[in-house]
Amino acid sequence: MTPMRAMVIDDSRAMRMILKRIVTKLNFEAVEAGDGKEALDLLADMTEVPDLALIDWNMPNMNGLEFVTKVRADPRLREMTLVMVTTESEQSQIVRALAAGAHEYVIKPFTEGAMIEKLALLGLVPTGANS
Amino acid sequence: MSVEVEVDESDLAEMVEQVWESYLDPEGVSPLIPTYDENQASEVHSSVSITGSWSGHVVYASSTAAARRAAAAFLAMELEEVSEEDISDTLGELANIVGGNVKAMLPPGAQLSLPQVVLAPESTARYPNAARISGVYGLWEGEPVSISMWQISSETKEDGA
Repeated sequence: MTPMRAMVIDDSRAMRMILKRIVTKLNFEAVEAGDGKEALDLLADMTEVPDLALIDWNMPNMNGLEFVTKVRADPRLREMTLVMVTTESEQSQIVRALAAGAHEYVIKPFTEGAMIEKLALLGLVPTGANS
Repeated sequence: MSVEVEVDESDLAEMVEQVWESYLDPEGVSPLIPTYDENQASEVHSSVSITGSWSGHVVYASSTAAARRAAAAFLAMELEEVSEEDISDTLGELANIVGGNVKAMLPPGAQLSLPQVVLAPESTARYPNAARISGVYGLWEGEPVSISMWQISSETKEDGA
């Protein structure tokens, strides 16, 4: 069975490491990008689109909201599940992200359990992956 | 124009508790023990600036040992594996997380800067026209850690504008 793939997009290397650790535990293959532009460049070179992207909001070069908007406008990337992972916790920001096409929204700080729960709700946690 | 902020010590303490629960002490065995000493020493610090509906800074400061321990917990590493870059990244993210949550409690229109990390004591930091308005000060496994908020005086800003 082909493993699922996740893209972790955050300008903080520390946060990328945390997210990568979680998705790897769930048997995803993970790739990292430091901002939205780098993520789009990586996606352009990929033959297989990742199943999941975990996206920070505030990043240099291209922020998470712009990234979500661009992904949603690209039919090749339409199957990718987009989860914002950010300190932006105002209701208005959550609404903006979901309206732009994000599927879920996780506010930092988050526990590993809370993140796994969100991914499970999206049907992205394989059976037995978190045992 | 900057408004009076309504984020107080108990709000900061709640954010700190969430950070500890999420990243620094998920097992719940090493909480931050309050000292209420706003003059406690630090060796490293990180900060984010907030502008817009409120202007000021959110500062995370600690000893180097506490910063190393934070990086080890954050990045799931052994203490001896932690590099200066790991410490710097972790301090930046901690300031970003606390600052982002402070911003969420402010009136709409606030903007958060990218974090700045300085591997030097908080006492070396210069925040022009800013005064500390609240903070959480404590010991984490015997090492000092603090999270504080500094507000830029709107009167001074307007006078200088």
